[in-house]
Amino acid sequence: MTLLTDDIRALVGREVTYTAPEELGRAAIRYFATAVGDDNPLYTDAAYARRHGYDDVVAPPTLICETNQYAAVARDDEGYAGHSWHLELPNTRQVRGGNSYEFHQPVRPTDVITATWRISDVTERTTGSGADMLIVTSAASYLNQHGELLATNEETIIFVAIGETP
Amino acid sequence: MTGSRVPVEVGSAAPVLHRRIELVDMVAYAGATWDWHRMHYDPGFAAEKRLPAPVVDGQVFGALLVEQLQDWLGPGASVRALSFRFKSLVFAGDTVRCESEVVAVDDDEVSLSCRVVAVGQDGSERVAVAPASATVQWRR
Repeated sequence: MTLLTDDIRALVGREVTYTAPEELGRAAIRYFATAVGDDNPLYTDAAYARRHGYDDVVAPPTLICETNQYAAVARDDEGYAGHSWHLELPNTRQVRGGNSYEFHQPVRPTDVITATWRISDVTERTTGSGADMLIVTSAASYLNQHGELLATNEETIIFVAIGETP
Repeated sequence: MTGSRVPVEVGSAAPVLHRRIELVDMVAYAGATWDWHRMHYDPGFAAEKRLPAPVVDGQVFGALLVEQLQDWLGPGASVRALSFRFKSLVFAGDTVRCESEVVAVDDDEVSLSCRVVAVGQDGSERVAVAPASATVQWRR
């Protein structure tokens, strides 16, 4: 049995956009840095950031992926309230593959972020132990309110078939 | 204005970053990232999924690798690209160790190979993130 059905193939090109209702803000930047345990003053001390060629504090680069652009997304049963394609594949287990980020310019507290996610590829492979798996690749781009590209993020999610299918 | 460049060459290693990740750190990260999936802070939910403890959000390791590189190379450098694959789960109470080594140097960029190792509370080690790579650019 193949996991790569016509329905799954038709997912390629699916796109969804999330726009933040307000600016990112200094407090959100400080909160993220504090939660990570990163005390770099570039994120919290505007005078320090200016001495090093920035015009204000900047956000830690990976913060852009998980901010208030998802404020309008309802929580699911497991508490999750971020981007999801809501793909349910029977008899599979879902695993995160990895991420590939490119950071194009520093993210500022005054940026209003829009994230656009697109399914760019679905591929079938076989695991080392012989199980079928489906790899879903998505690409996100993050722009600010001026249309400037801040970052991109490519993410892979892997669906591994569990046991024998009849 | 952007400060001097830290001297690096192929084979130079960033100072290792160690971080113990407690449940309370995971609660703080969940709040800071609008991600309230129970897997990341609810021991009962983790037990239902037959996991020993709540699972650390994989994106934390991206943030820690950036912290390691930015602390090493200073404010005159900025991380331009970062990619990683997840190898194994990291649980509340584990300590992670970020390791990064320079693999290429050119005029305005440094390329690094990175990995994250998780050390369990019993001292056992496993690779959590690998392969991983980063590109850091010297700012002008």
